[in-house]
Amino acid sequence: MEKLLEVKNLEVSFQTYGGEVQAVRGVSFHLNKGETLAIVGESGSGKSVTSQTIMRLIPTPPGKIKSGQIIFNGEDLVKKTDKEMEQIRGKEIGMIFQDPMTSLNPTMKVGHQIMEVLIKHQKMSKSAAKERAIELLRLVGIPMPEKRVNQYPHEFSGGMRQRAMIAVALASNPKLLIADEPTTALDVTIQAQILELMKDLQKKTGTSIIFITHDLGVVANVADRVAVMYAGKIVEMGTVDEIFYDPRHPYTWGLLASMPSLDSDDQTELAAIPGSPPDLTNPPKGDAFAPRNPYAMKIDFEMEPPMFKVSDTHYAATWLLHPDAPKVEPPEAVKKRLRKLSSNYEKPVVVKESE
Amino acid sequence: MAEKQKLIEIKNLKQYFNVGKGNVIKAVDGLTFDIYKGETLGLVGESGCGKSTTGRTIIGLYKATEGEVLFNGVNVHAKKSAKELKTLKRKMQMIFQDPYASLNPRMTVADIIAEGIDIHGLAKTREERMQRVYELLETVGLNREHANRYPHEFSGGQRQRIGIARALAVEPEFIIADEPISALDVSIQAQVVNLMKKLQREKGLTYLFIAHDLSMVKYISDRIGVMYFGKMVELADADELYRNPIHPYTKALLSAIPLPDPETERTRQRIVYDRSQHNYKEGEELQFREITPGHFVLCSEAEYEKYKTMYT
Repeated sequence: MEKLLEVKNLEVSFQTYGGEVQAVRGVSFHLNKGETLAIVGESGSGKSVTSQTIMRLIPTPPGKIKSGQIIFNGEDLVKKTDKEMEQIRGKEIGMIFQDPMTSLNPTMKVGHQIMEVLIKHQKMSKSAAKERAIELLRLVGIPMPEKRVNQYPHEFSGGMRQRAMIAVALASNPKLLIADEPTTALDVTIQAQILELMKDLQKKTGTSIIFITHDLGVVANVADRVAVMYAGKIVEMGTVDEIFYDPRHPYTWGLLASMPSLDSDDQTELAAIPGSPPDLTNPPKGDAFAPRNPYAMKIDFEMEPPMFKVSDTHYAATWLLHPDAPKVEPPEAVKKRLRKLSSNYEKPVVVKESE
Repeated sequence: MAEKQKLIEIKNLKQYFNVGKGNVIKAVDGLTFDIYKGETLGLVGESGCGKSTTGRTIIGLYKATEGEVLFNGVNVHAKKSAKELKTLKRKMQMIFQDPYASLNPRMTVADIIAEGIDIHGLAKTREERMQRVYELLETVGLNREHANRYPHEFSGGQRQRIGIARALAVEPEFIIADEPISALDVSIQAQVVNLMKKLQREKGLTYLFIAHDLSMVKYISDRIGVMYFGKMVELADADELYRNPIHPYTKALLSAIPLPDPETERTRQRIVYDRSQHNYKEGEELQFREITPGHFVLCSEAEYEKYKTMYT
């Protein structure tokens, strides 16, 4: 599989009055061509900052990329100047934002907002761009695109606006599409349509997608691989089956157990993760999740766990995978999902720093 | 279940908005249902179906166009003295959908939460007031250092928790929660839902829980009403509704929920609802009819017969 994007040891922080917020603390992952990687995590886990850093949308200052590389198509985006980024942003990498109400320009016709991309990046003529804009609107399933192209965003419903946003993002056939909670503001029925649409378009265009969300149902629906983020780090990463049927990190367990399932009648309490995420101006020593982790051991408060490799594609950063760790039982709701996966190694292996 | 006491009775409630040039939006178009004491009634539907308007009309934020809402037998929309109104307002509280718009940006969190306590005189001393604020902050998963901060310093999720603390501050009997958890993270959603359930058990609260997250609604609700274009199309016990949805719109809605299970997602069959599929004849009367005990569906006479034979 060909890698389209590789993020290596990315660290991003923000200077604030309260001190330096270390929003992303050493994130590494890659994305293959044509695949969908879902990044899940709570607000403040750094998932949006990671994706915005890839787009170089972090305002500097107060934001700063402290270290790391973002290799996109063989080039390091961290080293690009703002001018160079303009050639990539919107052309090579498209982005869909969470809120379709605020991310479209209310004073511009929807058609013009799509045409803008085409004229700037693809050097199309105005008339050709308009034709393509209509085509794109049709592609994303907007009825009567000839009429819609001349309308303003306020004349569109929420779902329609999100479709228009997708059309803008797709206008220049980006190699990478970053979707930051694209369906969170939408109704389930519209959400289902948008997800179907994105998968459909991916099949047609072969775009790679980074899908940021906190809805595990959506993850199960769209993702090929999943990265779980907590407090600025990836704590577990694997294929969608590995994450849902063989999760290893207690935080992933917590996330899965806190979702009610539709078919269970039991009126037991949801297994909520107690407490709230740590303050990243002063990240805790050791495992950042330890204070909220019922499985935390002494070492979790002292030393950060290394990445363990459970299979070729499955990584988790928790001391529980250490050979000396006691055997623990995941929560009831998680135990019900567990399956034996044949791809697993006999024993988890520590990933060396250099890898 | 026999002696369920009605806390709220809603009778043929209508809420129309005049949008000018003779256009009227029928946001809520003839709702009749009851909410029993101590239960959670979930209200689901797409945006624009009138579920939020229903909540706001029940609490009296809008003056109903037609119909009435009785709270413990008292008509919410009838004229009352200031004192009566005050007691009524204390018993009914609301948690709003938009955590950005529902908190005053110029007030500290402590003052926002304590506003109700001050108005209703629930704390005798300053210390008691602050103590209460700290307790409330901790119940909703914030900590006491947050008390002197301003809303803009919080994330959307945290703001929503402040809103919940504010509603709880006056110890109400009935809470209308309008999409209270949509803005929160999964792990926090579970905390809040557990908290709401716990409060319900301890204080006998009654909830009207408005949301579009159907799996959470099912978890928290005893009964669920499904709304579509200002009308309630189906009302049943939560489990019953999910097991045996009758109205085609409910079926479509249920089929659209993404589940956290990759295998079922790969084989998902989505049902699409089209209003014209009913083929109602002209003059056919749509009514809320009971198909099986406690399971109501909006349907025509012909459909009623059909559903009756299909589901009983």
